[in-house]
Amino acid sequence: MKRIRSTARWPVSRWLAGFGLSLALAAQALGAAPYYEGKTIEIIIPFPVAGGSDIWIRTIGPYLERNIPGNPRLVYRNIGGGRGIPGMMEFALKTKSDGLMVLVSSATNYFPVLLGDKAAKYDFRQWKPLLVNPVGGVMYVSPASGVKRVEDLAKAKDLIYGGISAIGLDMIPLISFELLELDARGVLGFKGRGDARIAFERGETNIDYQTTPAYNATVVPLIKEGKAIPLMSFGQLDDSGNIVRDPAVPDLPTVPEVYEKIKGRKPSGKFWDTYKIFMPSAFAVQKILWVKGDAPAEAARVFYEASDRLSKDKEFLTKTSKVLGGYPLQRGDRLEKTIQQAFQIDQETQRFVREWVRKKYHVKLD
Amino acid sequence: MWDAALIALGKFADPVHIGMLMAGVMAGTVIGILPGLGGIASVAILLPFIFKLDVHTAMILLIGSVAVVHTSDTITSVLIGTPGSAAAAATVLDGHPLAKQGQAGRALSAAFLSSLIGGLIGAVFLTLSLPIARPLVLLFGSPELLMLCVLGLSFAGFLTGSQPLKGAMSACLGLLLGSVGAAPTEAVYRYSFDQLYLLDGIPLVGVALGVFGIAEIIDLLAKGGQIAERIGLGGGWIQGMKDVMRHWGIVVRGSLIGVWAGILPGIGATAGSWMSYGHVVAMARDRERFGKGDIRGVIGPESANNSVEAGDLIPTLLFSVPGGAPAAILLGALFFYGIQPGPRMVQENLDLIFTIIWGFAFANAIGAGLCLLLSPALARLTWVPFAKMAPAIVVTIFIGAFQSSQHFGDLFALLALGFLGWLMKQLGWARAPFLVGFVLSKPTEQYLWLSISRYGAEWLWRPGVIVMGLLLLATIVWIVVGKLKGKQSLDEESTEGPPLLGKTSSIVFTFFILFVFAGALYEARSFPYLGAIFPVAATIPAIFMAVLQVVLDLRAPGVELAPEARNKTGTALSYFLSLVLYFLLIWLIGFAIATALFTFLFLYGWVKLRLSRSLIYTACLVGAAAFMGWMLGLYWPAGILGGW
Repeated sequence: MKRIRSTARWPVSRWLAGFGLSLALAAQALGAAPYYEGKTIEIIIPFPVAGGSDIWIRTIGPYLERNIPGNPRLVYRNIGGGRGIPGMMEFALKTKSDGLMVLVSSATNYFPVLLGDKAAKYDFRQWKPLLVNPVGGVMYVSPASGVKRVEDLAKAKDLIYGGISAIGLDMIPLISFELLELDARGVLGFKGRGDARIAFERGETNIDYQTTPAYNATVVPLIKEGKAIPLMSFGQLDDSGNIVRDPAVPDLPTVPEVYEKIKGRKPSGKFWDTYKIFMPSAFAVQKILWVKGDAPAEAARVFYEASDRLSKDKEFLTKTSKVLGGYPLQRGDRLEKTIQQAFQIDQETQRFVREWVRKKYHVKLD
Repeated sequence: MWDAALIALGKFADPVHIGMLMAGVMAGTVIGILPGLGGIASVAILLPFIFKLDVHTAMILLIGSVAVVHTSDTITSVLIGTPGSAAAAATVLDGHPLAKQGQAGRALSAAFLSSLIGGLIGAVFLTLSLPIARPLVLLFGSPELLMLCVLGLSFAGFLTGSQPLKGAMSACLGLLLGSVGAAPTEAVYRYSFDQLYLLDGIPLVGVALGVFGIAEIIDLLAKGGQIAERIGLGGGWIQGMKDVMRHWGIVVRGSLIGVWAGILPGIGATAGSWMSYGHVVAMARDRERFGKGDIRGVIGPESANNSVEAGDLIPTLLFSVPGGAPAAILLGALFFYGIQPGPRMVQENLDLIFTIIWGFAFANAIGAGLCLLLSPALARLTWVPFAKMAPAIVVTIFIGAFQSSQHFGDLFALLALGFLGWLMKQLGWARAPFLVGFVLSKPTEQYLWLSISRYGAEWLWRPGVIVMGLLLLATIVWIVVGKLKGKQSLDEESTEGPPLLGKTSSIVFTFFILFVFAGALYEARSFPYLGAIFPVAATIPAIFMAVLQVVLDLRAPGVELAPEARNKTGTALSYFLSLVLYFLLIWLIGFAIATALFTFLFLYGWVKLRLSRSLIYTACLVGAAAFMGWMLGLYWPAGILGGW
């Protein structure tokens, strides 16, 4: 056994420490061993290696290993492709109720559910969120568009936005354009948000958005050079589920704030309903770590406690700040209601969105 | 800038860094040799190891492996005619015939040297372009990128062989296969028949391994004996180096083509090496030897596929946009360290950029040296009776194919395309245009889509587009004139001896292809307009060509098949069936048992190896396969009858 180092001067305290330790050991021997001791937790990642969600979990993984009592080993399993559905189904069908298999999910996994895709036969209501990490998004324009401030947006002509697909994250900016009634159109078919940003830089498009980490690294330099002007953020959710300013870019107004500024009234209507339903999935609760709903309570509890400890861990906060995007790693139980609400959609709105992407962006949903 | 370069160079005096570089190079070399495993696999394997290293060390490890994959993948391509990675398929065309002629040494040394020079040119180009790369990349809008893709596609015209009609249909077939899965913007999922597997399209690895690898293995097995006659390798090594010196122009042009293919998004190493191959054929005065073992056909693609990886780093580091699949993983690794590449990278992390560049250059040198050392031993494999090697190769190919999406569909596609490739090979349908069409299908369609939806018809009048349009026109004239003059461009070598399949088979095959095109066109009627452009553009001309081909076939004189040929066809088919059986066994009783059973039955029952040797071979192979599966993080589904 390792000797206990003590800085105390009194031998009594050393003696006491030893006594405490033996008590702890005795307790363990009596069967109070941590739930995850000597166990391996398999993490299902329904995306290919080195994607955003993969890097997210692999970055925080080692800290979880250290902060979960019993120090379980984490193994990562990527099941990419098929719009994330094969990975989700693997988790939905194969997981036992022992908390030894957890799942990372992202916006790609929520949108098919919200859009009523029949292939997405998984149900988030049967799972428990362990950890949640939001992401933000910032929209900006090129000075060539004639827009200098958000107020100019209403009279701006021929705004062109580059995106990947109308049924992915790009839906949020595209819906924002409709909500704000801008003269903007989406040119879709880019391979990634980075490719779309290159198109913005070469003047092929003149309005764009990036997630906050990418915004800080790749757009802020453009702003300093006068090649881009920041406009607004998509916002985050507060504890009661209202859309509020994004703490990562507190100076920028949110889309609904801009609406009020331009229109002089609170947002309403079908596009506003759509925005409220889809924005959280896309950004505010984007990354979620799940366990099956019937897993032992202790399995979930140790994750919550690990997240509490990590939120005060200086090393963790500095080392992972870029990957976490400047947002806290939140306990899943606190957000459970918000999350389950985020994946609910009424039939009317669903029909409206499907009709809109079909008519405007020629997307054929099954 | 230069002091940063020197500081970064100083890092390589650290034994830890040298050790990591060596580890990366070793891993990359081995992975490159294994058929079907390329850059993505090598980075993915090493990725879990980097999470405990600092960023410089980690990058050295990763870049070391990426840099050499396209050096060592040549070994497999040349020796057994199976692409060591998808990007090495072009090397098969001339490299493998050389090996069969007993000139494996020459082909390999030429390939390694041109890989090395290509890699170094790539590194130099990468360094020089750091200050100007951003504006350079921004020069190319979607319409210009579209024209580049079309230009690349037109190169397929040089690769159609002596039967241009069949070659052109082959290219259309490639384009069509490439349009399986999501159309740009996810507007529609084409030809997916409600299979989740097909939503992402068919993976390139399976296509390259099937059309070239499986087809070649079946042929080699049917032929019997070993790949090459036992002739001393002798002076071949020196000869190969002399070849590179003599054709230095090809090396330089090939490297630059590779760098550009890397810089431009969506092109990639496979397309780059084919473009380089196409350019060599296009510029050659005498084209008779291509496809039958012309050393220029090895030098061209080999000098390109290493420099692609250097080119890939430019968008990755300066725009935070991965230039290719391995670069995407590299980018993810940088995110892990809290480094988000972008415009500030050159100011803030210049030392890291130079660590990567130096690592790339050193790895290229070490990799080429290592391959040169390994090759004489490996070249001896061509003297071993091929049937004895076959189980090991087949199992590795299955692993390589399965690794791309870990779905049974991967194996199914591998075998179906393998059979297609074998038929094409026997019936004189060039396979090179097929692969060119397949790899360029996605980017061409994407840029077409973007150009139209951004600019309408105006994109046609942009100056860059007009310039490249003229270039395209010149290329087409060049091809047509060449064909009219009867300047025979390459014929992919078919099996030695008399043809295996006769007139009837040829007509049936053409009818089948006609049926596929017609069915695809019929399906396309329900696609939204932009999603239909591509399938329609690929199928309509192909249908006309197929009808014409049927008429030509019917009028051609029948060939009397030698009885020996019938026997050989039967043997080839039975070998193919044994692969199908292996596939079915995996499905029924799981990978491990199936592999053991297949290997043992093949060796003991068919090759008539001694019982003890068969058992040892089987045990070793199953162990190696399990190890590889573990390294690659493969999850083989349990068989439906149980087993594992």
